[in-house]
Amino acid sequence: MPVCLLCQRPSDVKLTLPWVLSWQPLLQPVVCAACWQTFTPIIASQACPDCGRAQPSRNPCHDCRRWGPLAFYNQALFTYNDAMQAYFEQYKFKGDYRLRRVFSQALLTRLASLKSAIVVAIPVTPETMTTRGFNQVTGWLAEGENSDWLRTKGQTKLIPQSKKTRQDRLLTAQPFELTATAPKLANQTVVIVDDVYTTGRTMRHAASLILENGAKSVVGLTLAR
Amino acid sequence: MQATELYGRQIALTVSEATALPPEAQRLTALVVTAKQLTCQRCGSSLVRKQARLPRQQFYCYQCLNLGRISTLTSLYHIPEPNEFLKKSQLTWNGKLTVQQAECAAMIQSKFATHQRHLLWAVTGAGKTEMLFPGLDWALTQGWRVAIASPRVDVCLELYPRLQAAFSNLKIALLHGHQTEPYHYRQLTICTTHQLLRFRAAFDVLIVDEVDAFPFAANPRLGFAVTQALKPVGALLYLTATPSHDLLQQVRRHELGLSYLPLRFHQHLLPTIKVTIQPRWWAKVQAGRLPLRLGHWLSTYAATGQRFLVFVPRVAQLTVVQAAIQRAYPRLHGLTVHSTDPERLAKVQAMRDEQVQYLVTTTILERGVTFPGIDVIVLGADDPIFSTAALVQIAGRVGRSRERPTGAVRFICASYARPIKRAIRQIKLVNRKGRRLRARMPVVSTTE
Ligand SMILES: [Zn+2]
Ligand SMILES: [Zn+2]
Ligand SMILES: [Zn+2]
Repeated sequence: MPVCLLCQRPSDVKLTLPWVLSWQPLLQPVVCAACWQTFTPIIASQACPDCGRAQPSRNPCHDCRRWGPLAFYNQALFTYNDAMQAYFEQYKFKGDYRLRRVFSQALLTRLASLKSAIVVAIPVTPETMTTRGFNQVTGWLAEGENSDWLRTKGQTKLIPQSKKTRQDRLLTAQPFELTATAPKLANQTVVIVDDVYTTGRTMRHAASLILENGAKSVVGLTLAR
Repeated sequence: MQATELYGRQIALTVSEATALPPEAQRLTALVVTAKQLTCQRCGSSLVRKQARLPRQQFYCYQCLNLGRISTLTSLYHIPEPNEFLKKSQLTWNGKLTVQQAECAAMIQSKFATHQRHLLWAVTGAGKTEMLFPGLDWALTQGWRVAIASPRVDVCLELYPRLQAAFSNLKIALLHGHQTEPYHYRQLTICTTHQLLRFRAAFDVLIVDEVDAFPFAANPRLGFAVTQALKPVGALLYLTATPSHDLLQQVRRHELGLSYLPLRFHQHLLPTIKVTIQPRWWAKVQAGRLPLRLGHWLSTYAATGQRFLVFVPRVAQLTVVQAAIQRAYPRLHGLTVHSTDPERLAKVQAMRDEQVQYLVTTTILERGVTFPGIDVIVLGADDPIFSTAALVQIAGRVGRSRERPTGAVRFICASYARPIKRAIRQIKLVNRKGRRLRARMPVVSTTE
């Protein structure tokens, strides 16, 4: 019997007759219903149009008004709540790579709906690749490797985001650079994918680098906000 | 990292973390990867390749993640146990053992001295912690490294202050998953069995208390952890009131010796279980009424003030049962408590302080917790949630004090489920042995 990836309890999927007759491929859920309900999806009509934060109104949120207009907009799939924090603790910090499957389908589906030719995942440092061993963003989207055309510059990302103060994060200089293998960005719409949108600094840096290199527009996509 | 932190340990470090290690540190492979097999060297799990996979042909162990991830990106670092301890007696306890406890204690010490693997089947309320003291002190005097482990953190938390009081000049390490204190090299360690996975050939004596707290078979890593943490010539002592099938199987295969301690410290036999078949007890309680027998018992309790515990299979049933009791006997004052109840400790304390006459609870109070002189009632004792071990432990809550060494253990259920029959049989067996022991008093019977 399949076991829920999050609570380890057996999750039995009830096969109903209409379902069997519909001939659709059976997507085995990797988490049980109870665990899945602990995450709060963000509905586009009830979110900040700039950063994707869940809120009743469609006007830019307090943070976005403070930081001024963005050159891109961000979409987030879920609110960063306790369950999401626990998920990141287990997936990213404890390094349980199996948990990529919890959100893989949801992110890939949203990504497909954005119909963009160029998708770029925020990279992790080479140091992280030798300790954690995977990029948490491409873990959801592909094979957990860093993309070979956007990379972190030198030492700038060595302090994990979570250990920096808000001030530190806002003051960081451009941490990314394009490599020679990067595709032509001129007149392209690019989707940048990251795990969490917190202050938006990471997304702003990546977006401005890509816009400076000729992209027509940038959309941010994060799992959580 | 200090050398002492690696004595008898196996710590997983990445290449960048493993700089500045003491020169005597040995490096061991963390995961053994062959074409067919993938095995974690810390917890012994055989891993499914697809699930253990990381990018770049790397692998990690998903079975012992909560000890810090071990992967092909890490190695295990270890320094063989040097036993850097004072060889002197540390026992400051000056209590007295009963004649039979003393004999049992002598037996334990001789098992340590001769490096045996042994199972002590001691009834609930036998006073087994005190019986360990002479053997522990003897082992410490040899300069041996000793650990007492239990699958349950509650058991560790209860043992620690008692041992610290008995060996008041000895620093004892307490290790469990929620521990925030840094690790220290100590001659005596109290830890969860899970923490044993961080040790390698460390202990000359390893005692596993309440070994049956989780079914042995349900946790294959427990056996591995024990073997790994023990020195190849070390002595192993399992303590239990309710040995699992697997442990008795090991006894039969002569991998373990077996002793019984069938009498409680006050020499009385275990209270026996009285079963009442009442298939519709839950429907009745839901309708706000009490099954006839239950009503009789409670009316007596209401009249005499006798204190009691009511066990139910599920958390959701707690308030329903209590409401029915409350309605029938408003004079009875009680509380409900379950394992994730935020007020759990306060409620148990209220029962201890005799502020309430009864608790309605799930299986969390089955072991460790002692309220002198209580009776117990188990509703739905045939529910699969109650294992044989759990039922024996629940029955073992009764008759623990010298003042009231007897009491009533009553089950209400729809049928004689197999665990109920086995629990009744286990209690009968130890009582038969206990009766024989009382008759001739050559105190502990040992079979080898
Ligand atoms: Zn679940
Ligand atoms: Zn916003
Ligand atoms: Zn492992």
